[in-house]
This record gives sequence, structure tokens and C-alpha cells, in this order.
Amino acid sequence: MSKQPADGPKTSGISTESARRPALLEVRGLRVEFATEGGAVQAVDGVSFELGAGEVLAIVGESGSGKSVTAQTILGLTRSHNATIEGSVRLRGQELVDASEAELQKVRGGEVAMVFQDPMTSLNPVYRVGHQIVEAIRAHRRMSDAEARALAIEMLGAVEIPDSERRVDNYPHEFSGGMRQRAMIAMALALEPTVLIADEPTTALDVTIQAQILALLARLNRERNLATILITHDLGVVAEVADRILVMHEGRIVERGSLDEIFYAPKDSYTRRLLGAVVRLDQPPPPKPTSTTGDGPIPSNISTESARRPALLEVRGLVKRFPVRGGLFQRTRGETTAVDEVSLTVARGETLGLVGESGSGKSTLCRAILGLIEPDSGSIRFEGREIAGLPQRRMRPIRGDIQMVFQDPYSSLNPRKRVGQIVGASLRSQDSLADGPKTSGIPTVSARRREGEAPRRQVGELLERVGLSAAHYDRYPHELSGGQRQRVGIARALAVEPRLIVADEPVSALDVTIRAQILDLLAELQDDFDLSYVFVAHDIGVVRHVSDRIAVMHEGKIVEEGPTGGVCERPSHPYTRSLLDAVPIPDPREARARRAIRS
Amino acid sequence: MAPFVVRRLAGMIAVLFAISVIVFLIFNVIPNSDPAQRMAGKNATPQLIANITEEWGFDEPLPEQYLKTMELIFTGELVSYSSRLDVDEEIRKGLPATASLCIGAAVIWMFFGILFGYLSAMRAGRLTDRVLTALALAGISMPVFLLASVFLYYLTFRVELFPSSGYVPLTENPLDWAYHLILPWTTLAVLFVGFYSRVLRSNMLEAMNEDYVRTARAKGLDERRVMTRHVLRNSLIPIVTLFGLDFAAVIGGGAIITESIFSLGGVGQYAADSISNLDLPPIMAVTLFGAFFVVLFNTVVDIVYAYLDPRIRLEGGRQ
Repeated sequence: MSKQPADGPKTSGISTESARRPALLEVRGLRVEFATEGGAVQAVDGVSFELGAGEVLAIVGESGSGKSVTAQTILGLTRSHNATIEGSVRLRGQELVDASEAELQKVRGGEVAMVFQDPMTSLNPVYRVGHQIVEAIRAHRRMSDAEARALAIEMLGAVEIPDSERRVDNYPHEFSGGMRQRAMIAMALALEPTVLIADEPTTALDVTIQAQILALLARLNRERNLATILITHDLGVVAEVADRILVMHEGRIVERGSLDEIFYAPKDSYTRRLLGAVVRLDQPPPPKPTSTTGDGPIPSNISTESARRPALLEVRGLVKRFPVRGGLFQRTRGETTAVDEVSLTVARGETLGLVGESGSGKSTLCRAILGLIEPDSGSIRFEGREIAGLPQRRMRPIRGDIQMVFQDPYSSLNPRKRVGQIVGASLRSQDSLADGPKTSGIPTVSARRREGEAPRRQVGELLERVGLSAAHYDRYPHELSGGQRQRVGIARALAVEPRLIVADEPVSALDVTIRAQILDLLAELQDDFDLSYVFVAHDIGVVRHVSDRIAVMHEGKIVEEGPTGGVCERPSHPYTRSLLDAVPIPDPREARARRAIRS
Repeated sequence: MAPFVVRRLAGMIAVLFAISVIVFLIFNVIPNSDPAQRMAGKNATPQLIANITEEWGFDEPLPEQYLKTMELIFTGELVSYSSRLDVDEEIRKGLPATASLCIGAAVIWMFFGILFGYLSAMRAGRLTDRVLTALALAGISMPVFLLASVFLYYLTFRVELFPSSGYVPLTENPLDWAYHLILPWTTLAVLFVGFYSRVLRSNMLEAMNEDYVRTARAKGLDERRVMTRHVLRNSLIPIVTLFGLDFAAVIGGGAIITESIFSLGGVGQYAADSISNLDLPPIMAVTLFGAFFVVLFNTVVDIVYAYLDPRIRLEGGRQ
């Protein structure tokens, strides 16, 4: 256990810094290896760092870099019969790596508390929120139920949950995502720990909620002198709250330093790559690949150009309501208007970015455009033809023209089908429609298909087109990385030669470096196939990167619409402004300046 | 919660009505022959057939026939024309034995099913798990008639450890009651123990990977509490559904083989005897009786389910 393998690349500053503050938590040469069916996996490979009281240390890295495993190993949560843990974790001198379960239980929640990524699944759905906080309190303190409950209510109040007296008896599903994460933080802080480990605490939340949670964490850090380890892939979040940064890659720390050192003078090539892949909201997007072959549109004349192009999709006054049922016989008691009088236009070859937070009606709007749900009123014209309320039979031929790319490449591909079958199925379904009234498509693939070419060849070509190879034909989705899966999802959509692709958060489940690749691919395909996109995302930075025009959706309405540059730089609607303001800027100096202005 | 319960109860009444109509159609209308003749049995006199036609209203329109049939069943006037015995009376006589068998067996199968499933999940992949898995599969694969015969041969004939048959009412002699029921209980429970332990094992293994279990550990709960309060508690929810349906099926006369082999004289045995004699009125009554329990327990399961999993109560309700 005392074996101390060579540390990763040592950078200056650590020794002086540790001399300045007494280390609260000291991690030395931590190695975690998991035995799997495919052999041993070295998840954490010699990680060392120190954490002082009141300090915020960010561990940054992409999925699989070992950042979460490192954090969980500190509390012994990765212990299992197939895990080998070496090295040392000392909390105020107490060794935790070979501590007994009983010793660890005292530390967990008591001294070191943890907040996890997904507030939707991190609370047990069958117990009331208050009960779960009380359970944590009573695991560590001799306290009556009533006292613990009073403390739980106090803590819920401290994390700004309104009406905490009543809310304490709610079940997790009665809380919104942001409230659940607040409840998790309340639970973590109820026992006044000295260290808080927050593992992607805001990743699953909307930007405005994220800003609130980050502000809350910053306040608690200040008020309680709480040492915090913040694990995240989002450099914007880091720039907002961290003091020091560790960059992890493939189980090792590749670089460490202060906020400014990492952001303004990165030494490691991976760090530079990570910083380079970040989509900056506050900077104009790089020229789209479209411009290399076209007449080189500069941002200012996009709007005039798109006005000249013929409209592919025209949505006018679209309304979709859902009944709210209740009472003894589930009678309709009222309605929620998910999409409220929405109008928008997408020209040929254009990308419309649709931005909004969860519950804003983006998904309902997309489903209506795809003909998956029938709108209550309004019109949807595709190439001049009315498709709203079209019967299924007559909608089928148009289905091929409008395709969708889904958010989660992990769950949107059938795990039991090979990649070739997944993409090939789309080709076949298109074949069955060949005699239907197909509007003039791009002649390439379908022309060749009629010549009787083997589907395997076609699928192979499609896979190559999206940056995979024909060799991926026989793979199963689980054998592919997230980025590769999303490429399969795009190939599947392309197989039927669509004119319009509705991409619902296509990159939000992907790592930043992969994200950039997929966005580039989408832009390239747009150019090659004259595609139009409706690009849906909650991240206005990503939307800005790819869109010609942006529509901001809020509570079912489009509150602002216009050319990308105009909406981002001169937002007219207060909601757009608050959305833009909430986006963390991956630039420590600007983040500091912004904080100064706010306070 | 209250509207939910009322809604479920209303639904239950509607389903029961539908079932009674279906039973009526299956027995009296669909077989394309004179129902009175089929009911009267093989050696019926023309007079008896005429009486039955009159009594059941077989010469009247279908709605009338339905009402008369239900009236006969629910007022307890239904008689078997071949044995001349009152059907309700017979079912009532069989009920204590059936209930004793089923409740006892249910206690055994729930206890051991949960115990073995829990142990299996806790020691997944190790020797205990492998042994329990083998036993569970053996239990699931073992036909009831074989298991019963083996018990009878070795435990009542070769070694006279238990009585071979009969039912002693609980009120008469509780010890004798249990003594007579140990073999039937075990016979009936073995299949379910095997099945439930497997289901619980896989539910628990799935639940162990849930984020909320990690949260429970991270807040410093001891392992036993994590396993019982978070893993086991959530894994038991699907078991409740299974239990409701299985228990309803056996108490509604589904334990036909066990009851017959051990001559318990319960409802299941009555059903078996009636079927072998093609005695229609009792078959009809037992079918409705069984359906009643299945629907009743289904409703109970729904309500218990809503209690166990608060998210269910929202179903179709607020958004």
C-alpha cells in the first residue's frame, strides 16, 4: 500500500503552495486498477495532489480520464473484489486507502461529503427528500428524529429551497432537477464536512440553474471554509469557481497549476487540445467549412442570403397543448401549452439554432416537425406542402426527407443490432417507399441502388462519409465510443437522403474534443448534401458555433429570433440576456471581471 | 392517494363485470349446443333438461339468460345436477383448506424466496450464489406432481414422518393442522421460492448499480443499511406484483395438483373433480371465484405498489 510509483509530470508551484497551506487532504501515488473480462484496466495511474482548507481544486478531463474514479476512491467507493487500489490518501494524516469500512463510514458524509452528477438518479425515488437527509444526519450524529428533521429543514433553507418546511416531505420526483441538486448539496453539507467532492455537479442542469448552483457552491465555500474538489469536463465552470486545476488524461495528471497558468500558459499538448476544443460563446465562431466552397459568406450577410434562398420548412402559428388530468376520474382539468404560436422558417442549406432550457417546448416542436405528434393548430409546410395533420399513410413518403439525430448515442442505437444493420435498415425502409411520391432527392445513392448495388457497399460508403470505415459494418454499438456512435446515428439519418435534419442536442452527451469533430462533420455534410438543419441545444455556445440564425425558446414561445451574431451580441429579450449571462466563460480573467460587475 | 384507490376499485368492478360476461358467453353461448343438456350430465331425463332450461332461462333472450345465470351464482342457488350438491356450499367447505394451504405456502415462499435471493445477490458469483442458483433452477424445473410423489414416498411411506393426506381444521387442532400441511406447503412453495429468489437476485444486482445506492454509501450509511433500506427495499417492488398474481391464482383454485395429491378437499380439488366429471355449474362457479381473486389481488397490488413507489400515484395525474 505504501508503494509510491513515480508521480506524473511534476510542475512547479506544488511544493511552494503546499508549504503555504497545511494540507487537509493528501493523495500520493494513487493507482486504481480494475480487472475486467477484457483484461486489466488502469483507471487511475499514479495520481498525487494536495488540498488545503477552503481551497477549490478542479480536476478536469474527458470521460474515461479517471477523474471520477479518483474522487470516488478517496472515499473508498470504488472498493470491490475486482479493484486493486494502491497509494495513499490521507485526511488530516489519517490513511484512508487501507482504512476499515467502519472508519470509512465515519469519514463518508461526516468529514468528506460528495455530490454527484445526475440529481435525477442520485436520490432514492421511494423515500421523501427529508427522510434521506435525516438518514444521513443520523448515521453520524446521536440526534432524535425531530432534531434531525429540523436540521434538514434548516439545510434545505440554506441551499435556497423555498418553503423548505413543506418541501422537506416531498418525494424526489416532485423536485425539479435544480432543486434535487440543491437537496443533494444540503444533504452533503448537513454534517458540516471539511471537504466536499462535487462530481460534475452541474452537468445535467440547465445553464441558468447551473449558474445558481455554482454561485451557491461558491458561497458555501466562502462561508464555511469548505475545501472543494470539483470534477468537471466543462472549462467554463472551472474558470468561474476554481483556485487550482489538475488536468487528467488516461488516468494520469498531465498538467497542474493555477487557473491562470492552465488557461493562459498551458504546457501540455493535451491541455492545449482541451482548451482549443472549447466552443467560446464570447468570441465569434470560426468560419464554417461551407464558406470554403461557397462564395464565402461573412456573418453579417447571412441573413440577407438566407432570405434569398427558398424556404424548405415553414412553420406558422404552431400550437400544441397537452391535457392536464386529475381528480377521481382523470378528467381533463386544464391544459399546458407546450408550443405556443410558434413560427419559424428554415431555408435550404441553412442551419437554424433552437435554444432553450428543459421544458421550453423544443422537443415538442421537433416532434411536430417530424410528424410524430399532431399539432392543435398552425401550419407546417415542407417544400411548400402542408404536412401538419397529414394522415400517416401520406406522411410516410415525406418522412425520408426529414430525419432526426438524437441526443444520446448510447441509448438511441439498438444494442443487439450491428452497425451495418442499423444503417442498412434505413436504406431498406427507403426502398419500400421508392414507388411513393418521392420528392426530388439527391440522386446519388438512390440512383445507384436502383442499379442493384449491394447494400453492404452502400452502407460502407455512408460509414466512410461520416468518418467511420467500412470495417465498422460488423461492430455492435457497445464496441464504439460515444463519438463513433453519434456518427452512426448521423449515417442512419443520411441513409434516406433527407433534405432536413432535426438534430436534438446532438453533441451534449459528448466530450468537448469529440464535440468539435461532430460539429465539423455536420457542417461538412451540410455543404456536400445541401442539407438544412434545425439544431436544438441548451448550450447557446454550441448553437452559436453552427447556426446561421438562432431562435430562443422560452415557455413554449419563441421570444427572440434573428441572425446568430445579432442575437448573441445584441440580445433584445431579457430571457436571452439571462441565458447568455448564465453561460460560464472559459476565461478566468473575464469570469473575474464579470463577477466583479455582478457584485 | 384516496382518489387513486377509488379509481382502482372502480376499475376492478368494471373488470369483474366484463369477466362475468365472458364466462357466461364461454359456457352458455359459444358452444353450439343446448346448454341445458350439457349441464344436466350424461344420463339426464328430458324432465331435468326442461327444468334446467326453465331455471336458467335458456329459452329467453341473452341478456335475460345472463341475469338469471348471475342470479343463480350470486344467490348461492347453483347446484350440480350430477352430484345434486349445492355449489356455493362446496366452495365454502373447500375454502378453509385452500386458504390454509395458500397462506402457509405464501409465507414460506416469500420468506425463503427473499432470503435466498438476498443471499444470492450479496454473494453474487461466489459459492453460496452458485449453490442457491442450482437449487433455484432445480426448484423451478421440478414438476409439482413429481415433488409431491417423492415427498409422499420418502416421508410418509418409507419413513412415517408426516401424514400422507387429509386436512385438519385449524380450529380443531392447530398443531395437527400444521402437521398435516407441512408437506403440501413445501410442495407448493418450492417452485415459487426458486422463481422469486432468481427475480430478486437480478433486481438487487441491478439496484446495486443505481446512483442512489452510491449516494447512500457516500453519506456514510453502514453496508447493511445500504443493502436493506436502499437495495432490497427498491428491489422488492416488482416482487409485490408477482406475489399478488401468484397468490391470487393459487387461492382462486390454482393449486389443483397439490390439493388433489394430498387430498386436502379444497377449492382446487373441487375444481379438478368437477372438470373430470364435466360438471359445468361448479366449473363455472370456480372460474368466477378464481377470477375474482385474481382481479381483487391485482387491485390490492396496484394500491400497495402506489404506496411503495410514490411515483406511481402521479400516473396520468399532474404533469
